Amino acid sequence: MFACLLSRSSPSALLDVARGFSPRIERHGEAVLLDISGLGRIVGDPPAVGRELAREARARGIDASIAIAATATAARLLGAACLMPGAWCERVPGAWRVPGAWRVPGASPVIVVPRGEERAAVATLPLDVLAGFGLSDHLPTFGRWGLKTLGDVAALAPADLHARFGPAGLVLHRIVCGRDDGPLVPHVDAARFEASMDLEWPIDALEPLSFVLARLFDPLSVALEQADRSASAIELSLTLVTREVVTRRLELPAPIRDARTFRTLLMLQLESQPVADAIDRVSVLLEPTPARIIQYSLLERAVPSPETLSTLVARLEAVMGAGRVGAPALIDSHEPGAFEMRPFACAVRPDASVTRDLKVAEHSGVSTTPDLKVGPTGVLRRFRLPVPARVAMEHGRPARVTTARRNLAGGRVLDCAGPWRSSGGWWRSSCRDVETNAATTAPSVSEARQVLGMGPQHKWNKDEWDVALPDGVYRIYRDRDSNRWFLEGILD
Amino acid sequence: MGTLARADLESLLRSRKLDRSLIPARVKGDPPIPTGLDSLDAAIGGGLPRGELSEIVGPRSSGRTSVALAVLAAAVAGGEVAALVDAFDRFDPESAAVVVSERRESGAGLERLLWVRGETGSVEAAIDPAPALDRAVKAFNLVLQAGGFAVAALDVADVPPAALRRLPFTTWFRLARAVEGGRTVALVIAAEHLARSAGGVTIALQADPSWLGTSPRARILEGLRLQSRLPSSDKLCDVKTDVAVTTASVGEPRQALGVGHQRRTK
Repeated sequence: MFACLLSRSSPSALLDVARGFSPRIERHGEAVLLDISGLGRIVGDPPAVGRELAREARARGIDASIAIAATATAARLLGAACLMPGAWCERVPGAWRVPGAWRVPGASPVIVVPRGEERAAVATLPLDVLAGFGLSDHLPTFGRWGLKTLGDVAALAPADLHARFGPAGLVLHRIVCGRDDGPLVPHVDAARFEASMDLEWPIDALEPLSFVLARLFDPLSVALEQADRSASAIELSLTLVTREVVTRRLELPAPIRDARTFRTLLMLQLESQPVADAIDRVSVLLEPTPARIIQYSLLERAVPSPETLSTLVARLEAVMGAGRVGAPALIDSHEPGAFEMRPFACAVRPDASVTRDLKVAEHSGVSTTPDLKVGPTGVLRRFRLPVPARVAMEHGRPARVTTARRNLAGGRVLDCAGPWRSSGGWWRSSCRDVETNAATTAPSVSEARQVLGMGPQHKWNKDEWDVALPDGVYRIYRDRDSNRWFLEGILD
Repeated sequence: MGTLARADLESLLRSRKLDRSLIPARVKGDPPIPTGLDSLDAAIGGGLPRGELSEIVGPRSSGRTSVALAVLAAAVAGGEVAALVDAFDRFDPESAAVVVSERRESGAGLERLLWVRGETGSVEAAIDPAPALDRAVKAFNLVLQAGGFAVAALDVADVPPAALRRLPFTTWFRLARAVEGGRTVALVIAAEHLARSAGGVTIALQADPSWLGTSPRARILEGLRLQSRLPSSDKLCDVKTDVAVTTASVGEPRQALGVGHQRRTK
C-alpha cells in the first residue's frame, strides 16, 4: 500500500511527517509518496494509517491531503484530486461509491481505496490530475477528442494510444488505469560528508596535523564507500588561535575516496602554503559525487590510477612549482613555440585503434608496440627565453654567432640556410603597445608568456636561420622590429 | 661449470644486496620500447628494456632529443603514458607533436605525456644549475616511485658534466633500484655517460647536419645524419640514420624559399 501526502502550504515539511512512518519515500514535486506496507502490525489497517498520518500532519500545523491506495499511481492521482479547486473528492460521487472505499472523518480529506479498486476509484477524476505526471501536453488533444475523465481515456484501447502517442501512449494508459509504471525509488537526502575536531592543544606543525587529518578522513572515507560515493573536492577549514579561519579548497581531478590520498594532497598543499599561526580547530568537508565505475580489460594497457596521479602531480608541483606539471598542448596559432599546459588526464584510456592492435597482438603473439615506419625526427631544443646573440653578417648571411652566455660560446658559421620570415599578431593593438614598451628588454613580454605556458598575445616579426656552428646546429632569428638577434633553439 | 660459477657469484652478490650487479635474464612480458632506429633496435633486442635505467648520450645536435622523443612517442602510441622531467625547460611541444603524429593515425597523444618543467634558462646564465638539477632528479625519482609509466625520461642534456658529476653516485643507483622489476623504462638524456643499470642500454650518438641544395643562398637543412654506438655491448654497433628536421607547422615541410627575404605564408 502507498500513501500520498500533499500540501500547498508547506510541501517540504511533509517529508518530516512521512519519515516518521516509513523510510521508503519518493518525492514528486509537491507530493510525497510513502510505502506503508508493513505498518499493519504497528499502526493498524490502512484507514488507521491514514488517520495517524492526518493527526501527525495536523500536530505539525500542516493541512495535508492524504490518499491511500494499493498502487502508487492511484494514490498520487487521488491525492492530486484532493487539492484541485472545487474539492473533487467531495463532489465526484463515483469515488465514494466504490464498494469498500470509505472516508475517514477529519479536517483534511483522507481517501482510502481498497486493493483492486484503483481503476474504478480514479475513473471519475478529471484529466487535469495528469499534470503532475508530466502529461499536460496531451490534455488539449484529449479535449479535442471529447474526453473529460481518466475513465474516458482508460476506455480507449492501448493499441490505439500507442498508434497515436508511441510508447508514451502505453505509459499513459497504465497511469489512467491506476497501474504503476515502475517501482518506488526511495528519496535519499544528499548526505554531507564533513567532520571536525577541536584540539585540546594548538598544533603548529604539519606532522601532528597529519594524524588529525587521518582521524577525520578515515571515517569519512568509509562513509563515502557505504554511500557508493567519491569526493570531487575537499574543503579544509582551519581555525587558528587568532580566531582567523583559513579555508583551503582542493578540486580533485577524478572522483576519489581514498583517505590517504586526501591527507597527502592536503599536506602537500599546506606545505607549499603554510598557515600563519597555530591551529585550534580542524574541519574537513568532502563534496560527494557518484563513484567511478571502471571496467578493466585484459586487452588494455594499465595506466596509473587517478589517486596515484593526483598525488604524484601534487608532489611534483611542490618540488617544481605550481603550473610546472601537466600535459603539453598545441594551441591554434602559427606563432613558433606557442603552447599551453593542460592538466594531465587521469583517466586516459587507449583509443579503439590501439585496443584493436592489442587484441590482434594477443592472438598472434607478436610484439604489441607499434612498428615505427619512420625513424626519429630531428627536433628543436627550444630556449624558452631566447638567448640574445651577436651575429656578424657577410654577404647577407650570418658568418659568426656569439653570445655572452656560459656554455654557448658560438663561433664561426660553418653552414647556414635561410632566412624564413614569420610574422603575426600585428592586429592586436593592445599587445603592440605592451610589446613596444618592452622592446628594449630581453626576454620580452611574449617570451615571458611562453615561459608560463600561455597562449600568444603579442605580435612577432622575425627572420629565422638555421646555422651550423662548431658545437651544434642552431636556429637563430632576427627580430625585425628591434633588429636584434636571438638563439631560438638547438636542433637535436 | 659456467652456470655454477654464475650462480655462486650471484649468491655472493645477493648476500651483500648487490644482486642487480649482473645482467638479469630478460623476463618475457611487456615488450621493450623501440627507439625508432631499426638497426639499433635490432642490436639491443627490440628496444630499451623495461625495468632498467638506460641512457642516451651525445653532444649538442647529435640527435639525443630526437631519439628520446621517438621512445616517448612509441610509448604513448602503444596506449601507455609517459613522463618527461625536463630539467631546464627545453622541451618543444611542436616538435613532439610532429614526432607523435607520425606514429598515430589520430595525431593525438601529447595528452598522454606528463611534462615536468624545470628551471627556465638557468643553465647558460650565470646561475648555479645545481639546485635546479637537484629538483629535477627529485622529481624524476617521484615519477619512478609512482610507477605506471611506460617511459620516464630525465633530460639533463644541457647540464654541464661538472655539475652532473657533483651528484652522489648513489643517486643513479637509487633511480635504477626504483624501476627494477617494473615495467617502466627509466631513461636519462645527457651529454656524457652518467650511469645505467646492469641490464640497461647506453646509446652514444653523433650526428652531422645534412644540407640540401648547392647554392649558398638557396639551401635548407634537410636533417641530421645520426651515428649511434653501443658502448655497453660486447661488439660495437654503428648505425647510420638520416633524420629529417621537423617543421614549424605540423605536416608542412619546411621548404626552401630561395634567395633573399621570402615571406613564409601560413
